Amino acid sequence: MVLVLGLAAGVVAFQGGSLGTQGPGSFFPPSYSYDDSQSASKEPSEFYWSRLRYTSRVDMYGGYGGYGGYGGSWSRDYPKADRQFLMALKRLTRIEARPTEQVVDLDSDDIFNYPWVYAVQVANWTFTDAEAKRLHDYLMKGGFLMVDDFHGTADWDRFMAGMRMVFPDRPVEDLADEDEIFHGLYDIGARFQIPGEQYVWSGRTYEKDGYVPKWRAIRDDKGRVMVAICHNMHLGDAWEWADDPRYPEPFASMAFRVGLDYIMYGMTH
Amino acid sequence: MGLAVVRTMFEFFFRYPARVFSQGDFVLLSGWPKWILCILLLGAAVALGWRIYSRIGRTAHNLKYWQAAVIWLLESMVVCLVLVLLWQPAIVVAELKPQQNVIAVLIDDSRSMGISEGGATRVEQAKQALQNNVLAELQAKFQTRLYRLDRSVTRVNNLQEIGDAAAPATHIGDGLNQLLAETSDLPVGGVVLLSDGSDNSRGIDRDTIAALRNRHIPVDTVGFGEETVSPDVEMDDAVVAPRAVADSRLSAEIRFHQHGYDGRKATLSVRDGDKVLSSREITFAGAGKIQSEELLFNAGAAGAKSLQFSTDPQPDEKNRLNNSVTRPVDVESAQRRILYVEGEPRWEYKFIRRAEDDDKTVQIVSMLRTTENKIYRQGIDDPKELADGFPVRPEDLFTYSGIIIGSVEAGYFTPVQQDLLREFVDRRGGGVLFLGGHSSLGDGVWTGSSLVDLLPVVLPTHKNTFHRAPAYAELTAAGADSLICRLADDPDANALRWKKLPYLMDYQEAGTPKPGAAVLAQMRAGSSKYPMLITQNYGRGRTAVLATSGTWRWQMSMPLGDTSHQMFWQQLLRWLVADTPGRVVATIPNRTLLDDGHVHFSADVRDDEYQPAPDAKVEAHVIGPGGISSTVEMVPVPDTPGSFQADWTADKAGSYVAEVTAGRGSEELGRDVVTFLRSDDVAENFHTEQNRDLLERLAQQTGGRYWRPGDLGKLAEEIPYSQAGITMRETKELWDLPILFLLILLARSMEWLLRRRWGIV
Repeated sequence: MVLVLGLAAGVVAFQGGSLGTQGPGSFFPPSYSYDDSQSASKEPSEFYWSRLRYTSRVDMYGGYGGYGGYGGSWSRDYPKADRQFLMALKRLTRIEARPTEQVVDLDSDDIFNYPWVYAVQVANWTFTDAEAKRLHDYLMKGGFLMVDDFHGTADWDRFMAGMRMVFPDRPVEDLADEDEIFHGLYDIGARFQIPGEQYVWSGRTYEKDGYVPKWRAIRDDKGRVMVAICHNMHLGDAWEWADDPRYPEPFASMAFRVGLDYIMYGMTH
Repeated sequence: MGLAVVRTMFEFFFRYPARVFSQGDFVLLSGWPKWILCILLLGAAVALGWRIYSRIGRTAHNLKYWQAAVIWLLESMVVCLVLVLLWQPAIVVAELKPQQNVIAVLIDDSRSMGISEGGATRVEQAKQALQNNVLAELQAKFQTRLYRLDRSVTRVNNLQEIGDAAAPATHIGDGLNQLLAETSDLPVGGVVLLSDGSDNSRGIDRDTIAALRNRHIPVDTVGFGEETVSPDVEMDDAVVAPRAVADSRLSAEIRFHQHGYDGRKATLSVRDGDKVLSSREITFAGAGKIQSEELLFNAGAAGAKSLQFSTDPQPDEKNRLNNSVTRPVDVESAQRRILYVEGEPRWEYKFIRRAEDDDKTVQIVSMLRTTENKIYRQGIDDPKELADGFPVRPEDLFTYSGIIIGSVEAGYFTPVQQDLLREFVDRRGGGVLFLGGHSSLGDGVWTGSSLVDLLPVVLPTHKNTFHRAPAYAELTAAGADSLICRLADDPDANALRWKKLPYLMDYQEAGTPKPGAAVLAQMRAGSSKYPMLITQNYGRGRTAVLATSGTWRWQMSMPLGDTSHQMFWQQLLRWLVADTPGRVVATIPNRTLLDDGHVHFSADVRDDEYQPAPDAKVEAHVIGPGGISSTVEMVPVPDTPGSFQADWTADKAGSYVAEVTAGRGSEELGRDVVTFLRSDDVAENFHTEQNRDLLERLAQQTGGRYWRPGDLGKLAEEIPYSQAGITMRETKELWDLPILFLLILLARSMEWLLRRRWGIV
């Protein structure tokens, strides 16, 4: 019986969309059609929403999205969050972006063609020496990395274990309200914790012991942000569920504004 | 030596000096009409021809027609010569009347004439040559005036007043002009110039030559000094930009020549004080040949610099003091601001800003259209700067030295702004760079704009010229020589570095380069090639097109630490703004004064709209060695509004700094600094060999002759043949010239020999 239920869950996982649902009150979103047949999805563009596919740590199991088609923690919220965000990017900026997402990895130099990269569930990431060096060089040459969706102390420690393979010594700083990164496109003053979809059924903005949102960054030698860290929050879910009436609009709006500001910063600094 | 022998032989066969024949008129003294001579000449030739022709058949059967023609020619020549002699040929030439003309004898008494050779200085040799009867012979026939020549001419009573050889400079042209002016009402029959030809005014101008020719005054020159100094290496010149931006790359062209070291290697270097800025090995070319080599170096920190360009001393070199020249360079620290207008967020924008981050001399102020209605400003000095968008007033736009226009359609700029852009280049002298993009150039409808003549290309008429497809950059021949594209000093290393650059992310068809534009790089996309970087000068400024927005891949795809992308952009943007003038521009024609302290200051003064400011008060404040300090008021140049000038003399050798300030009422319009150097060792150490070329040309162009000191015995005989002064027409008979008798004898002898050879004797 347990095996049948587990298999059923796995089959549902193949239906596409994120099944980030647990607990009571969970729901299955209507099927989301990812139509890549339009020519615009194949046209080369100036900007590509690039999601980093990384190797998950072997001591972590599960990871939403299951195995197979997407496999691994990197694909959390993929691809609906990416697509929804790209719609906002197109609507609200003059950035010429491809309407479909791009997956990049650290196995080849192709990542250098995508100077802005997004990664989620980074508490689960790990790198080989070659991958760490490539990510290090990518960031030092002008690349930008935004990390999202990891919560609490244990997640932070595991995230930093991976980060220290890339930057052994660079300090991690808190971003201040007046930092330029929050004022490129929108002036974002006071920020608040942006919860994942779980807020809908739990009513909590935090997960695990991540009670306080941490807006942090790693800078280069000239003070430019290379890695923007969104700890104790889940912007990806906010983008993904922005069209759901049960997900509060203020969270979604803040998440879009932050994402757009981060992209604008990455394209101007 | 060879020329003297030829002259002697000429006078032997022709009896008179060559000058008689070059200046005289050929005449026939006989009273018989000339037409009879012509008829007789013709008749004799025809008669002889008929006689020979009619006898061909009767001679030996093997006489050919061409042989008969040769015989006819020889016989005709003899008959014609004799006939001409009967008409008493002569030459009428103007000759100076004895004691009624003045011969001016100029003796160069400058420092270079004090060089000792063969136990006596050059000036002593000149005096000795005159004292060997030459002066006496001249004085017997003419009134002679002695002059000392250095920067000017000074009349002296006798040779004892000449011989100090202390004057630091010689200006032969100025001296001759002065002589002509002082003797304008005197019958000057000729000038004798005794000199080594070393001239600090860089030559004798055409006006001086024309003035001498107008009065028919020949200048006979007598050369002193060794014609070549061997073995020796001498620097001729070092040409380097007088101004530079701090930390920019400079290129100097160094010219030198040598004797006695053909094929040897040496080190060419440039120093700032004790610090060697750059050096490289060179190989000497042929002796006496002016060799040109390039040196690249970094301008370094801001300040007034005296850069020394030199070759290392060679073994047994006679004179090592001429191995080095010094040139002043003003390295400026003022930051040049560039306004970058970008129509959409894109990677090229980010990486251009990053490339310029390390360049303290250039600041990019950018306005980026992030949304349809939002502009994101970076690099501004003041919150109000660009708050209203692209400037509409000249005084706002002209505070920038350069403009970059990214992916922005022409229609974004209003007609007023477009006019301002043109004036920015034409009047203000700024630089504008157009980048490729999907709203740039042809795709941005710049074709139909009023600024299309600013572009260094003729844009294509079709649309969709921007392609998001890979293209490889290639250096052109012009680009290989340009400092903009120099990623490595060595040309071969530079070419290799360009070949290794990754592909560009995109390319745009920019059209056809205009005549006068330079294509420094091109792009290869598939099997097609397109110009990539095109530059041109426009009005007082310059414009360029970089037909891609994909150079950012050079930064992201090259290994970490590679500086190709950064170097390219820093050099390109420095080129864009380095020559953009300020509101006050001070210039000096020669930044290095050679044994001469005279300096002419010029200044161009403009107001904040860069219109000429003729009502400005302009002063030059000069500081020099030994505490020299002077303020010189500059006066307006007639008919040139906004231009001012002043003359000054630097009394001592050394480096000078002149700050030119301009104001109008209580408003300061601006200031500029220019440095110059007075060098007093040139005559002693440089060009110590005789400048025979200058002396020969002066003589030849005025109808005179170049003499060696040992040949002056005939000077008094030749000088009278002049058309200047008070002259008489002398008739010289030609019937008894040895050459005529020789020709007749030779013709007859040759005819006899040929007849014998051909069996018709």
